[in-house]
Amino acid sequence: MTKEVYYKDVNVGTEMPSFTSDPITRTHLVRYAGASGDFNPLHHDNTFVALFGLPNVIAHGMLIMGITGRAITSWIPQKHMTKYKVRFSGMTDPMDLNDAANTTNRATITVKGKVVKKWEEGKDKLIECEIESSDGNGNVKLTGTFVAALP
Amino acid sequence: MADKSKLGTEFPTFTYEVEKGKIAEFVMAISQKEGKDQIYVSKDVAKKEGYDDIVISPTFQTCFALWGGGGLMPMITGLGINLGRLLHGEEEYEYLKPIHPGDVITCKTKVVDMYEKEKKNKPGSFMEFTVLETEMKNQRGEVVIKGRSTLVER
Repeated sequence: MTKEVYYKDVNVGTEMPSFTSDPITRTHLVRYAGASGDFNPLHHDNTFVALFGLPNVIAHGMLIMGITGRAITSWIPQKHMTKYKVRFSGMTDPMDLNDAANTTNRATITVKGKVVKKWEEGKDKLIECEIESSDGNGNVKLTGTFVAALP
Repeated sequence: MADKSKLGTEFPTFTYEVEKGKIAEFVMAISQKEGKDQIYVSKDVAKKEGYDDIVISPTFQTCFALWGGGGLMPMITGLGINLGRLLHGEEEYEYLKPIHPGDVITCKTKVVDMYEKEKKNKPGSFMEFTVLETEMKNQRGEVVIKGRSTLVER
């Protein structure tokens, strides 16, 4: 169960608990394609990406946004979220199972966040938190913010 | 190149009936595991955590257009966007009411902005931006989510 988070306990500068995904494999991409309905071959067909000179299929940006959303709701109960916004800044290559040593980091997403604003509006007690998701090599995949109304 | 005369275009509305199995399938895909003890899968767990029923995860509504609206391709083609240059720039949601299994969501998407920006590393060459807003209403006519997507042609 997600623990309740109270307005009085969160301040500007409070850090969101860091969250790290499993290394993303092509199987995760196929699963996300089926679940979301996004069958752009860019995300599963190597013969398609070769046409554009890309070495690998790449993860759906919305999968990274989904993983980031999961990181948020591991901290703040989902019912409190009022806004969630991201800007995509980098592509994510999945891990190669035959070269795990060199490809695990690029496919592992870590989400970090920090509260940047805290205010009351009418009866709502709101926080805004900046978030950033990056891979194990430090490459940023998305940045964004979410707003939550806390008890 | 996106066709600027399309600014203000409203796409035909479409509806999507939210299914319990799809919510669970989606959350397994983003959580990279099979979790049965979650507000997205079990009504009992959802009730214990203060929800009326199972809820959707924060990005599930991406399924509405992809499964309910015939996919993004008709929109992209209609706007004259070159698929080979297309990137997803930004995605934003405002959550107004919870969405539960059985809800029937009607989505209306409109082109609200089209603009270009010169590339920093390539003067004289432009990136083009198309901003789509989608209003999602449930079967009671309540707006449940407002979405905003920025598509980029590089």
